[in-house]
Amino acid sequence: MVWISSRWKIVVMVGPALILFSVFVVYPVVYSMGFSLTKFQGFGTPEFIGFKNYLALADDPFFWQSLQNTIIILVVSIVLLVPLSFGLALLLRRKIPGGAGMRALVFGPAIIAPILIGLIWVFILDPKIGLINRLLAGIGIPPVQWIGGDILTPYAVSAVFIWSSIGFAMTIFYAGLQVLPEDVMEASSLDGATGWQQLRYVTVPMMRETFAIVAILLITNVFKIFELVYMLTGGGPVHRSDTLVSYMYFVTFTNQQYGSGMAIAVIVTVLSAIVSIGYLVLSRERKIA
Amino acid sequence: MQHSSSKSSLARRIAVGLVTASTIVALAGCATAGSGTASGPTEITLSMQNPDVKTADPATWAIVQAFEKANPDITVTVSGEAVAEHLQKLSIAAQSDTLPDIFWVYKSTAVDMQKAGKLLDLAPVLDELGLTDKFPASTVSNFSTDKVIFGVPYQGLLTGLWYNKKVLADNGLDVPVTFDDLINVAKTLSAKGITTISNGANQSSFSVWSFLVDLDRFGYQDKIQGILAGTEKYNNADFLRLYQHIAELRDAGAFASNVSTQTYQQAVDQFTGGNAAMLDAGVWASSAIQDAGIDAGFWAGPQFSDGVGDQKIVMNVASAPFAVAAKVGDNAAKLAAVKKFIAFYYSDEAQQLLVDNGQPPVTTYAPQVDATKQGALKAALDTATAPGVTSPETQPDLIVSTAVASAMYDSIYGVIQAQLTPQAALELVQKAFDAQ
Repeated sequence: MVWISSRWKIVVMVGPALILFSVFVVYPVVYSMGFSLTKFQGFGTPEFIGFKNYLALADDPFFWQSLQNTIIILVVSIVLLVPLSFGLALLLRRKIPGGAGMRALVFGPAIIAPILIGLIWVFILDPKIGLINRLLAGIGIPPVQWIGGDILTPYAVSAVFIWSSIGFAMTIFYAGLQVLPEDVMEASSLDGATGWQQLRYVTVPMMRETFAIVAILLITNVFKIFELVYMLTGGGPVHRSDTLVSYMYFVTFTNQQYGSGMAIAVIVTVLSAIVSIGYLVLSRERKIA
Repeated sequence: MQHSSSKSSLARRIAVGLVTASTIVALAGCATAGSGTASGPTEITLSMQNPDVKTADPATWAIVQAFEKANPDITVTVSGEAVAEHLQKLSIAAQSDTLPDIFWVYKSTAVDMQKAGKLLDLAPVLDELGLTDKFPASTVSNFSTDKVIFGVPYQGLLTGLWYNKKVLADNGLDVPVTFDDLINVAKTLSAKGITTISNGANQSSFSVWSFLVDLDRFGYQDKIQGILAGTEKYNNADFLRLYQHIAELRDAGAFASNVSTQTYQQAVDQFTGGNAAMLDAGVWASSAIQDAGIDAGFWAGPQFSDGVGDQKIVMNVASAPFAVAAKVGDNAAKLAAVKKFIAFYYSDEAQQLLVDNGQPPVTTYAPQVDATKQGALKAALDTATAPGVTSPETQPDLIVSTAVASAMYDSIYGVIQAQLTPQAALELVQKAFDAQ
């Protein structure tokens, strides 16, 4: 028998993954942090300016607008997407005719490139040529500024994000439901638990880890939303519908202010980590309680 | 056992031999590719701000094809991405010293690249080729810092408002001359549900060309040096009047309700589909208009009774330039090829190719325009050469940094889309200037 618990063997086995992680994750993050402290336009010598980029962002209304939009999308998505996708998984777990086909159909949007999803939804949500407003006009309702206005756009982006992610989240829940131990479910039925009681006191608690995984994936995906906004509105009007990432793209590549752009990237990374870790801590506390 | 070992040793030697031979061949290939030797054509790379140069920029494509035909010993490898991606790629390339040989770039970026020593000084090249005098003096000065010329004009920037003669005539309207005329046109058309000025802000916030001309009608050229130096402000009383006029146009219903979600291309389609009276664009749209069979005219834009200075202005300037990477100067064969390309690009033959593909010449060449096939282009060129018309040296956004230019676009679209008051729009731009 060969023991692998000696220190050097652990180092050898973990080493390759650690090196890859350092090169492709840690190094870019540290590199971005470094550039966020400089005035840099992509070439030439970066000029160290300390925290001025961060201070300038604090005074940038477009940054705050993009942060607000990201939070709106995050809240709407988490509040609606998690229960909706779980409900769909419960529904599709039942043996219903065409269940497999329906699962494939619900998962469909998850395999469409986000840029195409944006393109499709432009033709649905556009205030002038969009399908929804045309249908509304048919019943005498005046056009609604679903996208391109300064109120509904983040909610419209949330709706499209939910549409595109629900199949993915549902699949994870579905897989989680499939591996629930049958004997526990059977025992609860024999004890006289109703369907709702079984769901509330058996299924959901046993799937806490799955809920955490889905939530973390959705949180990180929300912080990466770019293509949807880019296609739907281009961030407009006047950055009113930008998310943090689309605004970072604008600052970095359109304005060629790499230092400021990297400062936004660092903020996105930190926020994403805080929200994810916060969620994990909360779920762990509830589990312990 | 020994037999097997000698067999594997032989196989190893053969493998090593093959790898060595293929490496030598590959390295030899690397040595010849791109640098140009007597054994093969010299390759020069041309990087553009367009993902499909052949289709979307037929003028450049035609010139490259004609150049390669005339110079079989030189190949031009054309590549391109959308503007933001193109600039991003250039920044990375500049940092790693792998810039394309010739590339389109914003003037402000070119100035920075020149300062960083990334660009070839084209002054000696233009002198040697005898080209300096073929450009309007303003073009040369616009692409110069001190005695260094960092760029040559890519295409002409003749911008304004295309108008559909039929839409105006059908609604009993004349081509406007003054801003008050334009307001009347907007009110009349808006009442009938017709868009007056077609433009699109989605992914094309820069598509505000006619309003940039208007800035010049409120004294931009006289003020800009002071604004850059900090002795004057962008949020001044003159510009405020212009932005208030933009708000008046918006309130008169001049713009499409989906201006924030439609792209520039959709705006063009709206105009060529006969659903808008005017299109905010430039001479580059002439081919699309011509192909759509629209009977179109070209209007330089409104004259303002409360404007500043000359109102008979048409924006007919050089666009963003072509620049040449500094490393080209280190390779004699490549430098010679680039010189040949530049000489060809500004030859009368190539300038006529520009015109044949719907672009105005960028040299002093007097083009041949077929009025029957290129009516739209002729209308634009006639407007640019009308008696008493003058042109500024450059377009307002081309003499400021990209961040300030973005703020200018945002300020104009901000008012058009009722997101910013005229005063707030001016302050947005001033803030961008201050951040510089």
